[in-house]
Amino acid sequence: MNVAITEHRGEALPVARPTINLAAQSRRLGTLMILPAQLLLLFIVVFPLLMQIYISLTYWGPTDGVSWIYAYQSLNLFDNYVTFFTDGDLWAAIARTLFIMVVAVPLEFLLGLGLATLFVDSFPGRRIFYSILLTPMMVVPAVAGYMFYMLFQSNGPVNQILSFLSNSNVELVWLSVPHLALVAVIAADVWQWTPLVFLILLAGILAVPEDQLKAAMMLGASWPQRFRRIILPRMRTVIIIVLVLRLVEAFKLFDVMFVMTRGGPGTATETISLYIYKQTFNGLEWSYVAAIGLTLLVILSVLAVAGMRFMKHEIEIEKAMEPKTVEEKTT
Amino acid sequence: MNRSKVFLGAGRYLFVGFASVIALVPVVWMATMAFKPREEWTSGIDQLSWLPKNPTLDNFTFIFTGHAPNLLVAIDRVAVGPAISSLVCATLGTIIAVVVGTLAAYGVSRFKVGQNLPLSILQLRLFPPLAVMIPVMIMWAYLNLIDTWWGLSLIYGIVTLPFSFWLMMTFFDDVPREIEEAALVEGCTPWIVFLRVTLPMVKAPLATTILFVFILNWSDYAIALLLTRKDWITIPVFMNALSTAMTGQMYGAKAALGLIAAIPPVVLGILIQKYLVRGLTFGALKQ
Repeated sequence: MNVAITEHRGEALPVARPTINLAAQSRRLGTLMILPAQLLLLFIVVFPLLMQIYISLTYWGPTDGVSWIYAYQSLNLFDNYVTFFTDGDLWAAIARTLFIMVVAVPLEFLLGLGLATLFVDSFPGRRIFYSILLTPMMVVPAVAGYMFYMLFQSNGPVNQILSFLSNSNVELVWLSVPHLALVAVIAADVWQWTPLVFLILLAGILAVPEDQLKAAMMLGASWPQRFRRIILPRMRTVIIIVLVLRLVEAFKLFDVMFVMTRGGPGTATETISLYIYKQTFNGLEWSYVAAIGLTLLVILSVLAVAGMRFMKHEIEIEKAMEPKTVEEKTT
Repeated sequence: MNRSKVFLGAGRYLFVGFASVIALVPVVWMATMAFKPREEWTSGIDQLSWLPKNPTLDNFTFIFTGHAPNLLVAIDRVAVGPAISSLVCATLGTIIAVVVGTLAAYGVSRFKVGQNLPLSILQLRLFPPLAVMIPVMIMWAYLNLIDTWWGLSLIYGIVTLPFSFWLMMTFFDDVPREIEEAALVEGCTPWIVFLRVTLPMVKAPLATTILFVFILNWSDYAIALLLTRKDWITIPVFMNALSTAMTGQMYGAKAALGLIAAIPPVVLGILIQKYLVRGLTFGALKQ
């Protein structure tokens, strides 16, 4: 009703509309515009979070025969959290996830950086190669998992190529030997996500001001020198962004493993997400899963806040570099 | 000097060419597998062929009709339902994410309201979905949203909201304010300015955001696995259920499904190549 009245007034006196009215109107519209997003957040963050805290303090499970509301009947306070810290399988899964991250992400970074430097200046076929190299990251992760499942069969193409190269009969059962399964899973991750690193790093390199590179070149700086002294320092933010993105995503790793190995053989490729999945559907220990989830949530939030601070700091450093370079140019 | 340049050029082609082959091999293997008849799915390593010797469409017939002349088994659930489900839920999820995200992004970008909204939305993307799924599964069960198209669309809209919101916010920040201010002075209400002035100016970025969010929703596997059972499973879930329901692996049929699932994102991804960096970094980097 109110809105209609103001609009009517607006039509009657289009010129003499006071600015205060406009500011108030703008703020009201702004509040209305962010309302749906806020409601969705309330719905998916606040309410579930309270529920997760509540359930994590009990022994409730979906097969208890009572609704989650009555979970307090099996209240145990911090038992689930004690279990969390003493659960060897869980920590093994966390260690495994970290191991995969520590191997896969640096590999992706180095390969992506190497490829990006090759794409800095133009060469015939650059656009086609660029598109081809981006293909893996467009593939649906679950489908990528299936592709690698096929490739790594004992009578699959990987063994065929290895046999051809070594001129002997290679019959590795990739997905049934713990170490080899880990290699296969990491290979799938590197295959799919190196393109992302490549894409972002290339954008970062191309954003380095060309005049600085030209100036350095005229002063006789070689390509490695230019790369180390000009490009790398300029790319701090980009490098941090790409590493944070990859580490966060690698920590969530689920689809590829689930399709390729289901965490197997045994628990050789069981990441934290897969462990949680198994506890949810095989163990049906939902209260324990809620406790695991919450603890991870707290740890990740602390890391995120620290990371955010660090990033702000880095960006300030980068900004502080700006006037200096201008000075250098003018003198 | 000239010789080293030639050498460098050759080295570049060698590396880039090798990387391109690696990038394509898994895709090609699956694509050709989709057209191989049953006898060629698996064979001794010495007879493994990269191209189908007798190309056939049997695998596609099989997944869409449930049986094919040369495939001995039959399935009672075909890929038509999952294909519709993938399409409907990814589309509706995209609409929810983009509408809500665009409105909120404009509000934050122009009217300086909800200053901590950007970070609270971003955190939706930080946590492993499986770590926070228990309460969502209970809620979805309570609200009868499990295995429904609206339930899956709703959660898709929520998990991709961070992308649409952050992308649109950076796009709005890029639009010069002068035109909007002029329209305000002319006596337009802020809402009309948004609808008639700003939105037409961000048409192309909006289209990019829509395609980008659609790719993300289409690519989901974990959420559909948790929140659907039978009627509304998506293509990736259907594809992986196929092997457990069958005796032996249905390599060719699964490859055909994988191909169908893989094509839309690759095609759309090439369309929005220019904005990919921006999208993937939540607008932090502009290409």
